[in-house]
Amino acid sequence: MWTNPNLRCLLALAILCLTSLVHSREIGSQGDPQNLKCVTHNLRKMVCTWDISSKRRHGQTEFCYTIDDVIPKCFKTKEKKVEIPVPGSSTTVKITTYSISGTAFATRHFEIHKKDISFVPLAPRILSLTPDFSTSTLTLKWSDNGSAFPYGLDASWEIEILRKETMEDVTRESYNSKLTHEDIIHSWNWKSDMPLECTSHYARIRHYINITQFDGHKDWSDWSPVEVVPGKDTEPSGSGLFPQDTVVAVGSNVTFCCVHEEGRQVQRMSYGAKDYPLIRLSSRSSAIRVLNASASDASGTNIVCRMSENGMDGTVLFVGYGPDTPEDLSCETSNFVIIKCTWKPGRASGLYGVRGTKYSLIESISGKNVSCEVNEMKKERVCGFPVLADQKTYSFVLGVSNPIGQTEASLLVDLNQRVNPETPEKLTVSENSSTSVRLRWFINGSFAEIRLLCQIEISSAHSEQKLHNVSMPGGKFSTYTAQLNALHPYTKYRFRVRCSAADHFWRWSDWSGTEEHTTLEAPPARGPDIWRERSPSGKSLRIFWKPLSLSEANGKIVSHEVSCYLLEESLEHKEVTEPSNSTEIKLGRNDCVISVVAKNHAGSSPPSRITSVELPSDNVKTDRAVAMGNGIYISWNSYPNMTCGYIVKWCHSSGSEPCSVDWQKFPSNTTDAVIKSALFRPGVRYNFSLYGCKSSGYQLLKNITGYTKELPPKRAPNFTVEETSSDSILVKWEDMPIEDCQGFLEGYRLSFAKGEKDSLKPRLLESGNPELKVKNITDLTKKSLKILDLQGKTSYQLDLQAYTAGGLSPPNSLYVVTKEDSVGLIIAILIPVAVVVLLGVVASIFCYRKREWIKETFYPEIPNPENSKALQFQKNICEGNKSLKTLEMNPCTPNSVEVVETQSAAPKIEDTEMMSATTDTIVPEDGSDSETENHVVVSYCPPIIEEEISNPPMDEPVGLSQVVYIDIQSMYQPQIKPEEESEIDIVTTAGYKPQMQLPVSALKIESRSPAEEESDKTAGYRPQANTNAWNMDTPDSPGSVESNNENASFGSPCSINSRQFLLPPKDDEDSPKPSNTGWSFTHFFQNKPND
Amino acid sequence: MLNVAGEPPGDSWGIFAFLCAALCNLPTVPALNGTEELGAGQSIQKTYDLTRYLEHQLRTLAGTYLNYLGPPFNEPDFNPPRLARAERLPSATVDLDLWRGLTDNARLAANYRAYSRLLKYLRGLDSQVGTVELRHRLGHFCSSLQGLVLSIAGVMSSLGYPLPAGPAGPPPSSGTPAAPNDFLKKMDDFWLLKELQTWLWRSAKDFNRLKKKVPPAVVTLRIEARGF
Repeated sequence: MWTNPNLRCLLALAILCLTSLVHSREIGSQGDPQNLKCVTHNLRKMVCTWDISSKRRHGQTEFCYTIDDVIPKCFKTKEKKVEIPVPGSSTTVKITTYSISGTAFATRHFEIHKKDISFVPLAPRILSLTPDFSTSTLTLKWSDNGSAFPYGLDASWEIEILRKETMEDVTRESYNSKLTHEDIIHSWNWKSDMPLECTSHYARIRHYINITQFDGHKDWSDWSPVEVVPGKDTEPSGSGLFPQDTVVAVGSNVTFCCVHEEGRQVQRMSYGAKDYPLIRLSSRSSAIRVLNASASDASGTNIVCRMSENGMDGTVLFVGYGPDTPEDLSCETSNFVIIKCTWKPGRASGLYGVRGTKYSLIESISGKNVSCEVNEMKKERVCGFPVLADQKTYSFVLGVSNPIGQTEASLLVDLNQRVNPETPEKLTVSENSSTSVRLRWFINGSFAEIRLLCQIEISSAHSEQKLHNVSMPGGKFSTYTAQLNALHPYTKYRFRVRCSAADHFWRWSDWSGTEEHTTLEAPPARGPDIWRERSPSGKSLRIFWKPLSLSEANGKIVSHEVSCYLLEESLEHKEVTEPSNSTEIKLGRNDCVISVVAKNHAGSSPPSRITSVELPSDNVKTDRAVAMGNGIYISWNSYPNMTCGYIVKWCHSSGSEPCSVDWQKFPSNTTDAVIKSALFRPGVRYNFSLYGCKSSGYQLLKNITGYTKELPPKRAPNFTVEETSSDSILVKWEDMPIEDCQGFLEGYRLSFAKGEKDSLKPRLLESGNPELKVKNITDLTKKSLKILDLQGKTSYQLDLQAYTAGGLSPPNSLYVVTKEDSVGLIIAILIPVAVVVLLGVVASIFCYRKREWIKETFYPEIPNPENSKALQFQKNICEGNKSLKTLEMNPCTPNSVEVVETQSAAPKIEDTEMMSATTDTIVPEDGSDSETENHVVVSYCPPIIEEEISNPPMDEPVGLSQVVYIDIQSMYQPQIKPEEESEIDIVTTAGYKPQMQLPVSALKIESRSPAEEESDKTAGYRPQANTNAWNMDTPDSPGSVESNNENASFGSPCSINSRQFLLPPKDDEDSPKPSNTGWSFTHFFQNKPND
Repeated sequence: MLNVAGEPPGDSWGIFAFLCAALCNLPTVPALNGTEELGAGQSIQKTYDLTRYLEHQLRTLAGTYLNYLGPPFNEPDFNPPRLARAERLPSATVDLDLWRGLTDNARLAANYRAYSRLLKYLRGLDSQVGTVELRHRLGHFCSSLQGLVLSIAGVMSSLGYPLPAGPAGPPPSSGTPAAPNDFLKKMDDFWLLKELQTWLWRSAKDFNRLKKKVPPAVVTLRIEARGF
């Protein structure tokens, strides 16, 4: 057959056609095999499939293929699918179809190139799908079948999770791996957002192998068969609310599902107190989704599922925070037995009990760990770790965990540098001497490997607190001792101790308890400061000493030993017990050396010595001292022969007791001093004596007197009037005692002025009396004063004051009346008498001399009227002076209007009446004119009733009141000023009103007080209409509808028009009564209370 | 919700009850010691008063505790189905005719057994509670309830009845497993409080009935005066 050239030609043509066409293209006639497709799953073999175009029944198919030009392999098959090896580059295929009878009716040739082959790996097989219900996690395991492929191929996997009976897609996730020419089992986890119990979950997988050297088409494998994790809703008796008792972080999204028995219905599901919308998962399962869960309460948040037939299920969710990283982790030991680590926990987790935060302390060097029992109530957490032998450095990791998460904090410590010893205890004090003690204390800890530094606090009442540091080698649970020296004898001390590590200070321990101890007594440190004074008689000597200070006494002074020696011979010996600080020795006229020794229980002080010899001194001056601050400044000249210093001695006197002697010693180079004493008082005079000290004895050098502060004298000196005359007063006063002066007296001040002894008048010194005269007497020796140039028989007030540098004393007052001045009186009488006599004599002489002229002028024998001045006088008056009204006859007619015209408004009315003809006086409807109604006064026109009822005149607008009134009230009541408040205006001017004004009155009248009503009654003329009655009518009362008309029907317009006051004021109360006749019953009732 | 109490007690009654309870809670088992002196009548009266006081005390405790459990347990209309687990609690519910037919001894024995068991459960509750304050209150209530159990024992002995064998009945832990989850645990707590309240109400009735049968002795007045 192949040898035939025609056939060869045909075959060549067929091959040509095949190569030019896609192998799958349908070209043949009926029964032709077509659409040859070859797919390999493993690169070694491929599966080729084809179609046969004819629908005729056919029998077997012969399939021949040639690879690499070797002899073709043929085999017959009934299927349209064969498996052949994958060719190196291409393969030639001949497919011949046979009829059932066995005759070939179609043959096709195909050439398959490698690029025409598709590579589709086999669908992977899931080995297992395991659920973890507690964490809602699915674990998928499968084999990659890598042994079938060359090494190092990249494989991509796609895993799909489906859910519910309807197999809804939940997620599709990728997974990549490398094929290693081995069958590797892969595992993949997926955490579900819904508990796995809620409904069935499914998984399937497919893969894609990226074979770079394969030219053909590569494709994903088919999906593996699904693997299922059945939900509780598939179990016949499965029910419950899921998840159960889980812990989630705040802000999580959680799905809860309620699985129930068949036939029941979930009615509602609540999370906490709130119902959530149901999500149906299956006929037996429903869910809710809680987003962004907030922290739950201590017992967790309840989720409740309520079902039909009173079914109920529930679960509890605990929502909290993951553990916070511990802050301020610090570890130290107080005893080298336990290391105590402390930290601050930070934010609370909001989880309690078994879900609460757990701590564990891990030491990474030794690998030991301890779990910590912590008190949740305390802010600071504490955990103990045992000290390990031979380990000084510790690397601690504090692990913190709760169901939500975990964290840690770490710390590396050298234990020797973190020693905070236990508080010292059992502190005891034992004494060695009066100046030293030994302290003992115990520290509960093993400090053998370090040195301790202990601090002893020493405090006493008389000295500052001191700290004494002692360094000592540490011991194992041992007692430590320390010696304290240089203490003061007989002093109460308080001790306490604290310790720390000496080499690496970390922290002080707490202070131990305080221990008190009083040191022993010692002999006084020095002899007392002494002085002596001879008695005025000179026969005895008083010896004084000053008490030793506490620091010098060194104990309790029990007595002083006083001895008197004369040339080593003891003349007298005395022991004076406390508290006496002086003694007297009878010496007679002798002198001796006095020695004083202070004694306490521990011994005697060194003796203090002083000689009794007093050297004579002459011309001792007394100086004044200067006050300085709270002391007294004293100065003296230098006395070169005073070899052993100076002594200033003074005396304090308090009350009636003899003064107590005090003194102060100064070295010989001193010439001044400020003497200070707590006993000094202002206003008290102190006398100081300055003694000089010589080897032979003491000599008084001078006396000094002074005050620490001068005050005004306590009182003025007593003074008396010795003598008075008509123009002078002689005043005398007494000396003042020094105690009263309170300072150095500088003078007196005498003030005087005229003044009666009248306590009501202000005191002389206080008043700014211009007549006050003051006399200042600075000569203290002067004890009297004569006041001159006074008036006779006049009362004078005299005030006498003493003054010091501190000020004026209070005054002493006297009232003196000067004597009468008789000479002056006589002169005062005589002079006027003499003047009168003299004038009489002069007049007599003048009259006598001019007697003729007088006679002619005044008494002529024949009187001449023209000359008469008296007559002229009369005439002038009548003619010229028109101002003399009493003489005027005509113009002074009495004004008859005066009676009515107590009213200022009266003339006004007349004016307005005249104007009314032209003025339009329409009252506004709104009644707001109540204030101005005084001014809108017009003459009365036609009667109201007719006006109101009949049609209004054409020239006036309808609806406005045409009624015009004369305001009688304004005429009658002049007291009401227009500018008075409107309310009063209304009340008092409530005359006869248009009905339009009623509402306003009604409003106002409600606030009327009874007093106002009373004033209404007495306020002269009243309108006939009772405005009160109108006002009381409520708008909705039956009567109110007709009230306008009715109101219009009463009253007395005529009387108003007549301008005559027909009704006197007293009848006013009665006047409304008749007018009420027109009222209905309702009005009456409503008015009644107002009556 | 747990509405099983009788008439609301007044303030003065509360004070009186408190004083009585204080007397009962003396460490030297006062109910047992006292009854010999005071007689059965006085002892019954005292037990009755203590019951009323406990009723009052439980009302505040239950409010706090149910709030601690959270919604829906603290909702006034919460009425969950009584699960099988709750049956382990001694039920106070009894048919009226049956109750009438009980002898005094049976009545007292039922009370004694019930409180002994309830007390055990209540002590278990105490250890679980997360908040310290509530734990203190529960502890206080437990001591009061312990006083009541002793008081009932005192009444029984004064009337000459023997104490029921095995005072606590079967131990609560045996038979009924611990709650499998937190919600059921809360439900147990809820039913425990509810049952306790019902029992206290029933006991008040029991002792009231018993009080009428055994009138208090004359010494009552003296003791009460001392109590005040």
